[in-house]
Amino acid sequence: MNDISLSAITGFDSGPTVQLKELESDHIKFSLSNVDLSVANGIRRAMIADVPTMAIDLVEIETNTTVLTDEFIAHRLGLIPLTSTDVDKNFAYTRECNCTDYCNLCSVELNLNVKCTEDRTMEVTSRELISQNDNIVPVTIDDQDPGILIAKMRKGQELKLKCIAKKGTGKEHAKWSPVCGVGFDYDPYNKLRHTTYWIEDDEKTEWPLSENAKEEQPPIEGEPFDYNAVPNKFYYKFETTGSMEAKDVVLSSLNILQAKFDELRNELKREQNMNQYN
Amino acid sequence: MQFPTPEHLKYAEKKFSTPNGLGATIFETDVVGRPDMRYGGKKLTDPVNMIEDKWRLVPAFLKTRGLVKQHLDSFNYFINTDIKKIVQANSIIKSDVDPLFYAKFTDIWVDYPTVHDPQLQTDRKITPHECRLRDITYSGNIYIDIEYIKSRKIATAGKVCIGRLPMMLRSDRCRLSKKTPKEIVEMGECPLDPGGYFIIRGTEKVILIQEQMSKNRIIVDQDRQGGITASVASTTQERRTKTNVQYNKAKKVVLKHNSFTSDIPICVVIKALGILSDQEIVEIVCGFDPVLVDLFSPSIQECAKLKIFTQQQALEYMSTKVKMGLRTFQRGQKRSALDETKDVLQNMVVSHIAADNIKGSTNLRPKAIYIGIMIRRVLFAVRDGGIIDDRDYVGNKRLELAGQLLSLLFEDAFKSFIHHVKREIDLQLGRNNRTAVVDAAKIIKSHSRHITETLFRSISSGNWNVKRFKMERAGITQVLSRLSYISALGMLTRITSQFEKTRKVSGPRSLQTSQWGMLCPSDTPEGEGCGLIKNLALMTHITTDSEDEPVRNIAYILGVEDINLLTGIELYSNPSTFLVFLNGITLGVHKNPLKFVKDFRRLRRAGRIGAFVSIYRNEQQKTINISSDGGRVCRPLIIVENGKPNMTDNDIKDLLNGIKGFDDFVKEGKIEFVDVNEESDSNIAMYEKDITYITGTEKQILNEMTFEAASELYNTTHLEIEPFTILGAVAGLIPYPHHNQSPRNTYQCAMGKQAIGAVAYNQFTRTDTLLYLNVYPQQPMVKTKTIELIGYNKLPAGQNATVAVMSYSGYDIEDALIVNKASLDRGFARVQTMRRFSAMIKTYPNGTYDRVFLPRDPVTHKIDPKFSVLEEDGICAVGERIDPGKCYIFKQSPVENGTTADGTRGAVEYTNTEQNFKYPGVSYVDRVLITTNEEDQTLVKVLVRQTRRPELGDKFSSRHGQKGVCGLIVNQEDMPFTDLGIVPDIIMNPHGFPSRMTVGKMIELLAGKAGVLKGELQYGTTFGGSKVDDMSKILIEHGFNYSGKDYVTSGITGEPLEAYIFFGPVFYQRLKHMVLDKMHARSRGKRAVLTRQPTEGRSRDGGLRVGEMERDCLIGHGASNLLMERLMFSSDAFEIDVCQDCGLIGFQGYCPYCKKRKGVSNIQVPYACKLLFQELMSMNVVPRLILEDV
Repeated sequence: MNDISLSAITGFDSGPTVQLKELESDHIKFSLSNVDLSVANGIRRAMIADVPTMAIDLVEIETNTTVLTDEFIAHRLGLIPLTSTDVDKNFAYTRECNCTDYCNLCSVELNLNVKCTEDRTMEVTSRELISQNDNIVPVTIDDQDPGILIAKMRKGQELKLKCIAKKGTGKEHAKWSPVCGVGFDYDPYNKLRHTTYWIEDDEKTEWPLSENAKEEQPPIEGEPFDYNAVPNKFYYKFETTGSMEAKDVVLSSLNILQAKFDELRNELKREQNMNQYN
Repeated sequence: MQFPTPEHLKYAEKKFSTPNGLGATIFETDVVGRPDMRYGGKKLTDPVNMIEDKWRLVPAFLKTRGLVKQHLDSFNYFINTDIKKIVQANSIIKSDVDPLFYAKFTDIWVDYPTVHDPQLQTDRKITPHECRLRDITYSGNIYIDIEYIKSRKIATAGKVCIGRLPMMLRSDRCRLSKKTPKEIVEMGECPLDPGGYFIIRGTEKVILIQEQMSKNRIIVDQDRQGGITASVASTTQERRTKTNVQYNKAKKVVLKHNSFTSDIPICVVIKALGILSDQEIVEIVCGFDPVLVDLFSPSIQECAKLKIFTQQQALEYMSTKVKMGLRTFQRGQKRSALDETKDVLQNMVVSHIAADNIKGSTNLRPKAIYIGIMIRRVLFAVRDGGIIDDRDYVGNKRLELAGQLLSLLFEDAFKSFIHHVKREIDLQLGRNNRTAVVDAAKIIKSHSRHITETLFRSISSGNWNVKRFKMERAGITQVLSRLSYISALGMLTRITSQFEKTRKVSGPRSLQTSQWGMLCPSDTPEGEGCGLIKNLALMTHITTDSEDEPVRNIAYILGVEDINLLTGIELYSNPSTFLVFLNGITLGVHKNPLKFVKDFRRLRRAGRIGAFVSIYRNEQQKTINISSDGGRVCRPLIIVENGKPNMTDNDIKDLLNGIKGFDDFVKEGKIEFVDVNEESDSNIAMYEKDITYITGTEKQILNEMTFEAASELYNTTHLEIEPFTILGAVAGLIPYPHHNQSPRNTYQCAMGKQAIGAVAYNQFTRTDTLLYLNVYPQQPMVKTKTIELIGYNKLPAGQNATVAVMSYSGYDIEDALIVNKASLDRGFARVQTMRRFSAMIKTYPNGTYDRVFLPRDPVTHKIDPKFSVLEEDGICAVGERIDPGKCYIFKQSPVENGTTADGTRGAVEYTNTEQNFKYPGVSYVDRVLITTNEEDQTLVKVLVRQTRRPELGDKFSSRHGQKGVCGLIVNQEDMPFTDLGIVPDIIMNPHGFPSRMTVGKMIELLAGKAGVLKGELQYGTTFGGSKVDDMSKILIEHGFNYSGKDYVTSGITGEPLEAYIFFGPVFYQRLKHMVLDKMHARSRGKRAVLTRQPTEGRSRDGGLRVGEMERDCLIGHGASNLLMERLMFSSDAFEIDVCQDCGLIGFQGYCPYCKKRKGVSNIQVPYACKLLFQELMSMNVVPRLILEDV
């Protein structure tokens, strides 16, 4: 990419700036400056819907004598987050894979085989899922984490099944979305007047300021309204499901956006070339 | 024979204890079992505030009474007391053949439910759940002890079965009674199930509560002509009669009665009853009131004009008008008209006033006085310009419950049973050459099916036919709706009225002020049943019959003067004298009514009189009415004496600590049950602060009236326990209903019953024909006290959805909702449906039987794909996916199944009677049950399961009568979100608010949001609950706007929305109406046989009708060819040959009428048209077609 300059995309002379405020493996807080609102929102949307992860998509049930029905358990299994670092590189989408059904290149097999033999309630959790691929395993925080509850069993009940985890995106099903909600806002003082405060008496007492207000200049009393101003700084805050590192989600989303732009550019170029010949 | 314990003594016997350990009922697990529920977060040492905590009496009440105690009380009364009374009244069978013979029933009782095991030939204990699964009736044997003559000696037989009685679940004789929740669960039953219904052949049947006018009470009413009538519906064990006393247009008082052909002047009746002097008649009617005398004098004159002066003359006059032959005398002898008249007067006119036989002559004087009272009431109404009684007043109503209805039925069945037994005994005794000894016990046993059949048939069909009252009522029972826990509960508190639904009077339908606290003001259906079908309020109790003898004695002891000892003049001469009635029967008079009522109440509070006996004074009529009859609605209230409520903080403490129970407070005279009539005679304070009390020093008031009268007027007598109990169980689910427009609450009451959620704890072992279950039900964020009391938080029907009140796209108009796709992915509003299919594998009388097997091709041994889900036994396999058209049971039945004359038969021929699945959508076989029923026939039940994720067009509703369909499903990234990244599950259009005025929903959202932020559940209890101010404070504390509005960004553009959005959790219910069950389309398909038009309805794969309005549109457009196509060519076009000469229909170009082929044309008409012509012709009408060239 270099024949279209950065400023042409972003509309800002200096390139985009990221200011990282908090970074943990499962959550992140940062602000992004010098980009257009549409790009900023595009990143948010890409993080929710376009970042690929692995999730259980096919369940072959061999024995299920629990009280829960097969599709109930299958649905629960699907929602269990699986560690999906570098999934976009290491796995193909099943629909694009060369295999007929599914194969190691596009899927991971996980097995569950539990039977309750004791006379008390047993909890089947995501820890009992045994993956064929060490990189794609159910998410746990640490060794103490009991895992995500799948079903409860009493004595004599059994659950035996084979799961096929596939690569997918949140657009298709929410189970593939690596994030929950993504916090996103800009202009905490509403200087741009993109919104109208609903007030009874006083704006300041009725509307608590967001924590991002610290980073911006409070409006000066009597300051004229700048109708040419555009939003510049965007505040992001989100937590992942655990399937990916928070920073990887951001990076992955950027790659995806970039790939999309590339695609668009290529298409446009081709269109241009076609027009030349005509 | 055991005689029933009087009700008030039973009360004394009960001791407060938890014999069944902690958690014997659902309420116990809350109040006693769980300390956090018990103290409401308080420590024992904290001060208990009476005002705040008196609501704790409500769970205590429900703990001792249960949710459907009315049904159980009534049924228990029937099986413990009433059934014994009935048998006692009909206890002896005598023979017309052998005068020495008799058979006497000495005792009767009902046993715990059993089932007959046809293989072992024994009875075995049975649980209700087994009955449901195996299509058996949950019923217990009725046993009697008899004493009878057997070969001239007295013999006895104990425990003779005379029939089976369907058993009400959780009644005294139910297997579930007095069981702990654990034991109940072990029986496969849900501990939250309230009971109160029956199981007949596997289906659960409820006997609905029936509303009726009270019996034996005088009601003054005005008819359409303006005549004022006092009527009384007398009911005794033997008969029901109605007596009317009317003030007619001729200004005369007459008696109207069914037994007489025309009206009879009232003075004639009184003279016939033995009061002869006109002076005395005037005394018992008018007293000294000159106005009444004036009004009554034409009636006296009339009698004089008729020249009737003696009793004999009066009887003779009446005998000319009596209807003869209504009842025949013994052995068919005809009686003289005079005797008939005497009999009618004794037994038919005001029949509830007994005409006692004293030394050979009947004492008709009480009847005369009673008729005098009726006349007096009529004359009062005339004098006051037509002030009549309110028929719709709840105090004038009685509620008939299962026990009373079954008792009617049982008595009839028992009488016909005795009749049959007697006939059989006569027959056997009358035989000349008897081979065996006549054993009455055996005969009785052999006739047991009479009672069994009557009871089973009536409950399963709902038709109540009682011969002796000429009662023929239909629709008494209904199948218990198991759509949700609430719908089942709502059905058990439902009251139906016997009024015709078509009548267009608004009176019976409108809300009565006297319904307060007794009947729910919100829970009634819309449409034809509106206001006629009602529901009980939460704390309502319905009385059962209790003995009136002790009450009568106490009344006399307290100074009531016997009516038989009084002259007419003593009844009305003193203005302070009040007439005293007991259950509508005149007892006498009392000269100090205030003191009498006070003393009576004191005795009742001391437990000397049954707790449910009510007494009230009627100042206008100058009467005191005591009631001990069954079917009165009443409710508990805290007694206030001397301006102080009798319940104290210590009492509440004792209640919380489990030292005392609700019944103890009743026993101690701190709480009492007050019925509607007594309620009207009380001053009830809503809260403790409203209590008023005047002492003797308050001179101001006393100057104008006496102290007694003043305190009567101003002093508070009772204190409400909790205002939220005016609502019923179903309306109690609504948070903040007092902020809603009232019809919205009524709508929610209807919709709450359609919400899909958890049905019962045993829902996965049930085999209902159709069961809807929510996959992830949640208890509401905003609860009410009622929700906790009825267990809705344990069996909820809905989920807390995050709602944004805003517009989004155009797919949210007309109440449509926008739903987040990610929410649906994660299981929001996901529902399972279970559909049951059953098949019987029968054995027939001729020894043939149905057979099931997996059919294979006889040559290739291959299995047809249609049978792919079947196993080797011809029944589908569990877990198999079943698609439309697949067979789930392959069954063959013999063609011949009757008995042949010679008993032999050749090779058995079979026809296929397989059952195929036909419902759309992906379905799986959930369970297969193979069992036998009571007749030892094999029964196969197959349960098919579907999991349904919400789709476009599925119906949702909040708890405020706000329903809407899903209009659009939106991806998460396109949904609006708050600055925290919270995405709503549902977007609701704000246009739903202004016209609906459901402010309660807004407060629910606010309270829910505050609750979520604080991490606790909030309460939206009626007239209480979390306050908006407090909720706003919590919101501010957590950095939110106090109004519940949020800064929301558009998911599509990333720009903030221009307005702030009302955003928070609201409890949403998914309703049972789903697109999958309703969608239907057809291009070509089946046609009806008769008309050859497309069939109608989705179930028959019918066509979509171009109706009258659609037709009008096409006409308006002038699209005649389209019209022709739709109405004829695409429907039932038919070619006929018409003769142009005669205009009749011919065939094959030939006119059989004109006998020629010339001029016969072929035209197209709708087949229905041709059919009409032929039908007309069959009725001698000739339709002629006149053809023209176009």
